[in-house]
Amino acid sequence: MSYVDAGYTVALATLFVYGVGLGLRRRRWERALKVAEDSDEPVVPGARS
Amino acid sequence: MNTSAKVSRPRWLTVVGILGLVCMGFTVWLGLWITPPDVVQGNLARLLYIHPPIATVALYWAGGVALAGSLLYLWPRTRSFFWDRLAASAVEVGAVFSALTCITGSIWGRPAWGVWWAWDARLTSTALLFLLELGYLALRRVPADPATRAKRCAVAALLIALDVPIVHFSVDWWQTLHQTGTVLDPGFHLHVHGSMAWTFLLGFIAFSLIFVWLLGVRYRIEVLQDEAGHQEMDVSLAERWSEGADLVSTARAPYPPDGSAS
Repeated sequence: MSYVDAGYTVALATLFVYGVGLGLRRRRWERALKVAEDSDEPVVPGARS
Repeated sequence: MNTSAKVSRPRWLTVVGILGLVCMGFTVWLGLWITPPDVVQGNLARLLYIHPPIATVALYWAGGVALAGSLLYLWPRTRSFFWDRLAASAVEVGAVFSALTCITGSIWGRPAWGVWWAWDARLTSTALLFLLELGYLALRRVPADPATRAKRCAVAALLIALDVPIVHFSVDWWQTLHQTGTVLDPGFHLHVHGSMAWTFLLGFIAFSLIFVWLLGVRYRIEVLQDEAGHQEMDVSLAERWSEGADLVSTARAPYPPDGSAS
């Protein structure tokens, strides 16, 4: 792998992983809030209802 | 409380994200396959279609939004948690771009300069920017009431903003291994021409659009976290009220409550 390929791979992969991570975090918080609204329980993201 | 209505996903943000991905695809295609190799650097110059745009986002876009948000929060007339959340989102996204600036610069520097890293003014001040952003994010996790946290973080963002002009002018103020302006010289004359210039421009647009999209999504998480904090506070208060009510009713009850004491 050349330096050019490595640079593009690192940059694009990092942004992709960060973007997907943000999307997942957003979804977890949305679900946690929805569950909390329905049950009046404190919000814990990722907790199973 | 209808949280989902309060923080609905704006459609323009989705459009910005899609446009960013399309522009990024074209930048990679043009940068890796269409543009000619540079006369001096050969194929290595292809890294410069992504490194300066990433650095621009880290330094000016993220730094600018963090500074503006923090100043507007600190200014009593414009004080709103909107500015605090926006600044916090910009710092987190900016930290990712700052790290990428150092990494892509290092990957370019190894074959161009012969070293992965040098304690040069531009490189060191950029690394300091990244560390300051990490410090801001750590400070944000310190437990405090929202107003105190916002004020502390706004002051920390001002420290980050102080480093931005140092990074920008480092190549003019000190003799550095890093070259002066890659795209424009101090007189704003373009160094790059033809398809290389267009690819550069597209790279700037692509990374800027991706930054706006990431900022929008991160901002939404910040709103959701604050909503969760409010809900948790409401539940805690309700519990404390009910505990207090129980204590009062127990205190008012005749002793012994069931009249069974001997």
